[in-house]
Amino acid sequence: MSAITSRERRERRAALFFLAPDAIGLTVFVAIPMLLSVVLGFFWIDGFGNFDFIGLDNYVRMVKDPQFWSSAKVTLIYLVVLVPLIFVVGLGLALLVQQKFPAVGVIRSALFLPYVISIVVVSMVWQFMLTDRTGVIATLLSKIGIDGLSFLGDPKLALGTVIAVTIWLQMGYYMIIFLAGLQDIPTEYYEAARIDGASARQRFRRITMPLLAPTNFFVLLTSMVAVVTGGLDMIFVLTSGGPANSTSLLIFYIYQQAFLFGDLGYAAAVGSVLVLFLLIFSAAMFLATRGGRFSNDD
Amino acid sequence: MPPRPHPSRRPRGTSPSPTRRTLLAGAAAAAASVPLLSSCGSGAKDGPLTFWNFYHPAPQQDPNLVAQSDWFQKAIDRWNGAGEHEVSSVYMTSDQMNQRMPVAFASGDGPDIFLISPGDYLRYANGGVLLDLSPYMEQDAIDDFYPDALTTRRDGDKIFGLPMEQEPLALFYDPDLLEKKGIAEGDLPKDWDDLLEMAASLSSGTTTGLVLDVDPGYYQNFTFYPWVWQTGGDVIDPKTQKPVFDADGPRAALDLWGRAVASGATPRTRPANGDIVSAFSSGYAAFWETGVWDVMSLTDNAPDKKFGVMPLPAPKGKESSTILGGWAWCVNARGKDPEAAARFVVQSLGSMDRECIDHCAVWNGPAKGNMPARKSVDQKMQAEGSYDEEHQKIFHEEILPTGRGEPRFPPVVYKAVSDALQSVELAGGDPAAEASRAQQTIESYLETYEGGSLV
Amino acid sequence: MTTDATTTSAPGRAPADPSSPRSRTSPVRPRKRRSRTAWLLFAVGLVLALATVFPLLWMVLGSFKTPEEVNSPQLIPKTFTLENYVYVFSQVPFARYLFNSFFVSAAVTVLALWFHSMAAYALARLRFPGREKIFLAIFATMLVSAPVTIIPTFIIVRTLGMVDSYAGLIVPAIFNAFGIFLLRQFYVSLPDELEEAALVDGASYWKIYWSIVLPLSRPILSALAVFFFLANWNSFVWPMTVTSDPNLRVVQLGIQSFQQQYAADWNYILAAATVAALPTLGIFFVFQKQIVASIKTSGLK
Repeated sequence: MSAITSRERRERRAALFFLAPDAIGLTVFVAIPMLLSVVLGFFWIDGFGNFDFIGLDNYVRMVKDPQFWSSAKVTLIYLVVLVPLIFVVGLGLALLVQQKFPAVGVIRSALFLPYVISIVVVSMVWQFMLTDRTGVIATLLSKIGIDGLSFLGDPKLALGTVIAVTIWLQMGYYMIIFLAGLQDIPTEYYEAARIDGASARQRFRRITMPLLAPTNFFVLLTSMVAVVTGGLDMIFVLTSGGPANSTSLLIFYIYQQAFLFGDLGYAAAVGSVLVLFLLIFSAAMFLATRGGRFSNDD
Repeated sequence: MPPRPHPSRRPRGTSPSPTRRTLLAGAAAAAASVPLLSSCGSGAKDGPLTFWNFYHPAPQQDPNLVAQSDWFQKAIDRWNGAGEHEVSSVYMTSDQMNQRMPVAFASGDGPDIFLISPGDYLRYANGGVLLDLSPYMEQDAIDDFYPDALTTRRDGDKIFGLPMEQEPLALFYDPDLLEKKGIAEGDLPKDWDDLLEMAASLSSGTTTGLVLDVDPGYYQNFTFYPWVWQTGGDVIDPKTQKPVFDADGPRAALDLWGRAVASGATPRTRPANGDIVSAFSSGYAAFWETGVWDVMSLTDNAPDKKFGVMPLPAPKGKESSTILGGWAWCVNARGKDPEAAARFVVQSLGSMDRECIDHCAVWNGPAKGNMPARKSVDQKMQAEGSYDEEHQKIFHEEILPTGRGEPRFPPVVYKAVSDALQSVELAGGDPAAEASRAQQTIESYLETYEGGSLV
Repeated sequence: MTTDATTTSAPGRAPADPSSPRSRTSPVRPRKRRSRTAWLLFAVGLVLALATVFPLLWMVLGSFKTPEEVNSPQLIPKTFTLENYVYVFSQVPFARYLFNSFFVSAAVTVLALWFHSMAAYALARLRFPGREKIFLAIFATMLVSAPVTIIPTFIIVRTLGMVDSYAGLIVPAIFNAFGIFLLRQFYVSLPDELEEAALVDGASYWKIYWSIVLPLSRPILSALAVFFFLANWNSFVWPMTVTSDPNLRVVQLGIQSFQQQYAADWNYILAAATVAALPTLGIFFVFQKQIVASIKTSGLK
């Protein structure tokens, strides 16, 4: 009996030791700032040392703030369009480059390439290429008779453009993740299915998708988080939230309130709501997939 | 946007309210939040005074940037050479400054001396971090500043920043391109409708008729205000401090910008990413609304390219009017040694001694090529022939006198105007509806606003 | 414009190629079909790859353009110039920026992999009370987004005296739940017998971690290393917030400083951007096989 408890104690002590660096770091640099942010949401703060406790006023203001709702709507559209698209494009590319064909290695690298470039540079390059009239895209389009489109200047097109550029930037990363998942599926399954006369579509539905479930879950979850919390740099350089607020994501609105308008309390309140939303969304995803096979006891 | 929910803005410098107890919700959180919420300064009184700016030390060797950087160097050397509390400058890009300043001030670690634009002025002034410089100045020197340059940096007799320049906006044009389309310099647009008509007819292929700013931001509003003023209208009446945006003038100005884009005269994205030098060199734009700083950009970077400058056309029967931008130096009232910092700023920009005036004339003359903020500097520059260059001459004689200082509207007012402008200009919004919505937002904000006047 | 021609005409041409008279004479049918499919896939892949690379190609070609030409829609520069690169390295301490980015990214990567693998090992292989809760708490930190917490984080970093230092650039960037999450999934999938023999022999947990678990995780660590390095090399907002000392300027900030208040030197920006992208491109080309191989053996299967 005593031997087991001593081993248990040893194991616990070891666990504490192994966990300590990350646990301390995450607490100091992520958890405490987040808690602080939640606390700040109940204050009016001018950013110069003056503050006032105002209870839920920031939240009341949020509910009445048309700009908050408009940004929430933009974020939701961005999320609902981008996440499935990234999924489909990433998986599609992975299915493509998984095949054997000439120069597949080079093509695979080419598809991943945008991901290695910084968002700041990428946004500048696209902004340049998408300029009305003189940009390279406008020049190409006018050769095939399409004139007068303004991809970044038309509120109807701007969000779509941001989504397209984001997909272009990130598809290589998700392609690699999917590729790894696909290559883990034993080839014998496919051989057997082929002998049974299963069509390519049947093989995809019956073998690929079920066995890819953990990868799917991972991609959906991480891309959702990345879509909601990321995207600031790109909006910042590409559109500044315009034209006419059509690309003003919540994360950009928060940035604007905190840094440009100095309204730290309100920014913290909106930020807290955003994190809460993500928390609920991902918890729902965990539940829906029964933990996405995350549990040790699986 | 709804009004700020807090009942009243705390007067500057007051101590935190007793409700701080509620902070003790979490001990750790409370302990960590003290630096954020307390109004203490940086504490340490030693070490050099930090001067955040976007000129010095120059990050690259472009001759123009080096000249501007040298100007700062000389001002700092003069101060440090006299054995005063050492000033040490920190270079930042303007984007970095936007990011870094709020973070630094929120943590009580703001710079001792920094640059500020009218758009940010009221936030800092109402926050109580700007030091009144008037006690350090002679009355002669205060009177030497042009009223338009100083009004937006003062509160009664107190002066919270010294402007280093006045930068008027104008309409730049490409005479070669106009000539090619059969427009002589005598046929330049005389009023709004003239301008739109001409610009629309010039827009074809890679050429754009009229470039107006399109990206939402303080700068876009800055370029929009003069069109409002030309109608006789305003956003907020400086005398009554009431919003007057829901009126014919502002509606007409919004409508002008909307029509400019709708008629194809104005592109939805600026050519050459907003760089007038490349755009004019490549024949991408005929007219461009921009500021005096671009005279030097064009003459330095494209010496062979001909260009012209004219006042912004007004509506038929109205007077032209423009806006005066520019940056001011401020002192952090909670800095290491605000008194020394104030004396440094006054010595560099706001003293009647010859050295100061001569040095300022170098900034507005050869280094930056814009308009001075002081009469004595103006005289010095006239004597030196700084305005002999044809474009500077037009700016100095025709455009500058029609100028008015950039208004120092707080963020909510800026955002209300920006939303209206963006909607009408780029999303086909109705000028009347947007003006009225902006008016309501500003009205409800001002009901609870306390702080410096909105001029 | 040549690229345009290839891009747009390729899809039309692709199916025509394999059905050329020559391939019809091929004796083995299935083989012929497979090769036809292969060429079809190649064509699709090529089109996608060209479309993907086009903006980057445009960036690289633009970096050889003169200032007069950099804004023209023409893809190929009329006059090739190396002037922009000369400028970037001679007039700006760009080498220093590259060094700073390299040092910071490498330090973050090494420390992060070390700490994360330790934490993941404990979460996956050691038994202790509250393990699942701690894991979920760590996972939840992934949902916190930087702009929400940047000011509080800055205050903490300042309290620790790390503003304007390498430590300020490195330390806060280390802690990120993504790596812990991925590594834990990998360690969970390892067989139970792994450490049992060692434990019976009386080996310490540290020894098991160091000489059994770490060597086994080499492939996934190398994949994460690439992702971490890329993310930190390209990071921008945090370095902009925490440093102002020119000696600490990282490459992304260096690129940005070409955008002066009133002038944008696009030819320099493009050259600088190309230089900044080279190390990450190199790393990807060298490691691309390992990346796929390693993620494959991770807990994502």
